[in-house]
Amino acid sequence: MTMVEKKINNSKVRLVRGDITDIDVEAFIYDITADAKLGTGYGSAIMARGGKTVQEELDAIGTCPTGEAIITGAGKMKAKHIIHVNGPKFHEPDQEGKLRSAITAALKRAEENQIKQLAFPPIGTGFYQVDLQLCTRVLVDAVSEHLKGTTGLDEVLFVALDTREFKPFEAHIGQGG
Amino acid sequence: MTKKDVSWKVQKMMELLPPKLSRQVVLSLVSCVHCGMCNEACHYVKSIPDDPKMTPSYKADQLRKIFKANHDWTGRVAPKWVGAKTPITEEDLEELKDIAFGTCTNCRRCTYNCPMGVDTATVNRVMRGLLTRVGVMPEGVWAVSKDSWEIGNQMGVLMEDYQETLEWISEELVDELGDEKAAIPIDKKNANIVYTVNPREVKYDPRTITNAAMIFYAAGEDWTMPSFGWDQTNFGLFSGDDVMGGNIYKHLEEKFKELSGNLLVISECGHGYRSTRCEGPNWSATPQDFRMESSVTTMLRYIKEGKIKVDKTKNTEKVTFHDSCNNARSCGLYEEPRELLELVTTDFQEMYPNRQENYCCTGGGGAMSMAEYTPRRLKSGKIKAEQLAATGAKIVVTSCHNCVDGLGDLIKHYKLDMEVKQLVDLVAEALVMEKPAEVPEEKPAEAATLAGYKILVVDDEPDMRTFLSTVFEDNGASVIEAADGEQALTLAKSEKPSLVTLDLSMPGKDGGEVYASIRQDPQLAKLPVCIVTGRPELRKLIYDRDVPRPEGYLDKPVSEKDILVNARKILDLSE
Repeated sequence: MTMVEKKINNSKVRLVRGDITDIDVEAFIYDITADAKLGTGYGSAIMARGGKTVQEELDAIGTCPTGEAIITGAGKMKAKHIIHVNGPKFHEPDQEGKLRSAITAALKRAEENQIKQLAFPPIGTGFYQVDLQLCTRVLVDAVSEHLKGTTGLDEVLFVALDTREFKPFEAHIGQGG
Repeated sequence: MTKKDVSWKVQKMMELLPPKLSRQVVLSLVSCVHCGMCNEACHYVKSIPDDPKMTPSYKADQLRKIFKANHDWTGRVAPKWVGAKTPITEEDLEELKDIAFGTCTNCRRCTYNCPMGVDTATVNRVMRGLLTRVGVMPEGVWAVSKDSWEIGNQMGVLMEDYQETLEWISEELVDELGDEKAAIPIDKKNANIVYTVNPREVKYDPRTITNAAMIFYAAGEDWTMPSFGWDQTNFGLFSGDDVMGGNIYKHLEEKFKELSGNLLVISECGHGYRSTRCEGPNWSATPQDFRMESSVTTMLRYIKEGKIKVDKTKNTEKVTFHDSCNNARSCGLYEEPRELLELVTTDFQEMYPNRQENYCCTGGGGAMSMAEYTPRRLKSGKIKAEQLAATGAKIVVTSCHNCVDGLGDLIKHYKLDMEVKQLVDLVAEALVMEKPAEVPEEKPAEAATLAGYKILVVDDEPDMRTFLSTVFEDNGASVIEAADGEQALTLAKSEKPSLVTLDLSMPGKDGGEVYASIRQDPQLAKLPVCIVTGRPELRKLIYDRDVPRPEGYLDKPVSEKDILVNARKILDLSE
């Protein structure tokens, strides 16, 4: 369900509510650890809905350093690709820098792979303790800046699981992002 | 030692500590005199007596050292003397992790036995919370917490799997009972009851959901289960992460309000009940402005109100009852499960010690998710195994899923001849299905006429007195009011009321003393009493006394319907 929508040049930004691993989108972002293992949470949802091929592709790649992004298929999921980013974890130093780096890397992977539609969750703001206000601000800013330039992306979605995640996204998009 | 030599994780933990230093925590940190009373209370010490690291004071000392080094004057003046010390390396944090997660289930038995009021479990939870915030935790805690944050329930049950399970249960119930109305309603708006469960029930033990659905059907209840925000458990209690705890609570609260339910019912789960009923509003910093109760209370009410009929001769094997630490010690749910057991079984045997003195099942505090500590956990269960065996019971009943797993493990490990059941299983077993239940026509509250009765309302809060008096008077009763215990006893003697509603927490003579005086006075002993309290933890004021139980018991906030149904029932019974 779309809640907030905004046009930036020829692209669209939408804020929706739901489970990012279960929405109808071409590619979505997953916050992975450096060992490139899916783990639990959204990771187990990817395994359950997508099958074992996603982890097999990740194993072949082997690692994803902090601030980097790697791309795999999405197995049997509704999406076609997953871009795995390694954002800052817990309260490690330079959260904002690492976050910006991971988002930039994710957008670069999307452009390289001619992806038209990409969905971001708030990166690391639950279990990994990244500040939610900081993350949504940086995410909305970085995506907005990217879409103002040359891009093949038609649409970027921000996907909030619950009200806690939804509200700061809504505020930052409303502020002009 | 420069700041550069200290791990960033330690530095962050020191930054995160001050907001956690509530009065309760500071009191527990400064008042321990290391008298050793807690040792006698701890199942780890009882079962592993030769290891001094098992003592509750040693466990709490880990945070105490940090507190003294960073926040207490004694640590500044004489750091070595008072053992002030701050961890430095990540290895130090690993050691703290093993103590905080691997040697304590946060059962709070030691808290009840500490003459200084030290709440070691709360101190230990603070330590856990600091560690998890910087990513130091057992693998199982990592896995479960991530599921809770990202999937919305602690076992990572996907929406489609949850719905499929409920559909499958519904099909079975409809087949078995021959009535389409036996199906589980999902996301029904304006239902009387919104029923929330433990994901363990969905994933491993759907029988408990089937049994609950059958009981709701037999009672003709207007109920529903939510499609999201259905997990009443909360791993934030175990990991010490208040932010996660508050967020999970908000999922339940928001869905409940979206559905416009009347009463949130929490299936049998100790930490779920504590987290949702008692801790969630604090963690999320939101007022608790809706009603909720344990399914134990719901089932007991159904029997008392005649909504379901039970035949206790269907459960004739000897049963004993295990008090879950979170239900009992932390939330005061002692008597309701026992009362229910007496109604649905023929041979109930208490285990000793019981109630607040009961020993931990070993599965609490998230211990079942921490496989690396399993050998120590099983060893620590020796005292529990002996306690279980001494009852001679074939069934141990508990109202908690962690206890079900913890006790199940001990029964297997110590080769005990018994099985674990929950109250919902025994109630469903004893259920007498006379005819397909009819979906409920709400009886208007006005039907409960109270004409001719005189009711004494005792409460120190004027608003509460006005509310209760208005409800009773609108239904035909005459009402007299008392604002304190002394006045209540005087009026009870002079006015000879038919019923007393009694608040527990009052200045001067509290409700417990008033109740005991009524029961011990030959002139008043038969006077029916309905307790109406906003502080369920005070029920021990009543139940710890050697006097008959009150005829009714209601938790505030209380609805007009609840108070009328109870008053009518009590007055009918008294006749």
